[in-house]
Amino acid sequence: MSRKQTPSDFLKQIIGRPVVVKLNSGVDYRGVLACLDGYMNIALEQTEEYVNGQLKNKYGDAFIRGNNVLYISTQKAVRRA
Amino acid sequence: MADEEQPQTAVVEEPLDLIRLSLDERIYVKMRNDRELRGRLHAYDQHLNMILGDVEETVTTVEIDEETYEEIYKTTKRNIPMLFVRGDGVILVAPPLRSGAF
Repeated sequence: MSRKQTPSDFLKQIIGRPVVVKLNSGVDYRGVLACLDGYMNIALEQTEEYVNGQLKNKYGDAFIRGNNVLYISTQKAVRRA
Repeated sequence: MADEEQPQTAVVEEPLDLIRLSLDERIYVKMRNDRELRGRLHAYDQHLNMILGDVEETVTTVEIDEETYEEIYKTTKRNIPMLFVRGDGVILVAPPLRSGAF
């Protein structure tokens, strides 16, 4: 499944999908990707925050400032425990 | 069909556009150094510099007891009528914790 794809193409593709956003601080956010921009500023819906265990639930929108983002990953249907 | 690359797509809103919908609403801001703010958003910019009114700041500290190695979480709160927040300290912005369908 290798095809030439720029990171910005990837970012366009994953909008609307459930994602995992990991921050530089190690905090994990899981939610549906509403939108993002070139600075990796992120808007998530139905967000859950994980630090070791589950800490807080955020409903509605959560905006994450891009400089804190380590990575954005999609969640596959089968999640490894 | 030639694919034209547009510098800006008019249809997709940026995250900053969606923050604009929270103007004059109360918001929750998670910041570096274990700080949280709850206040009314009066203004913001692309750096996430913000003007917040009627703000409550919560600072969370963890003290570790030397003998028992017990983690003691403490929060310190203070109220500020009007506050300028420098954007580089901001981690996350959200509506105050409530269940809302968007």
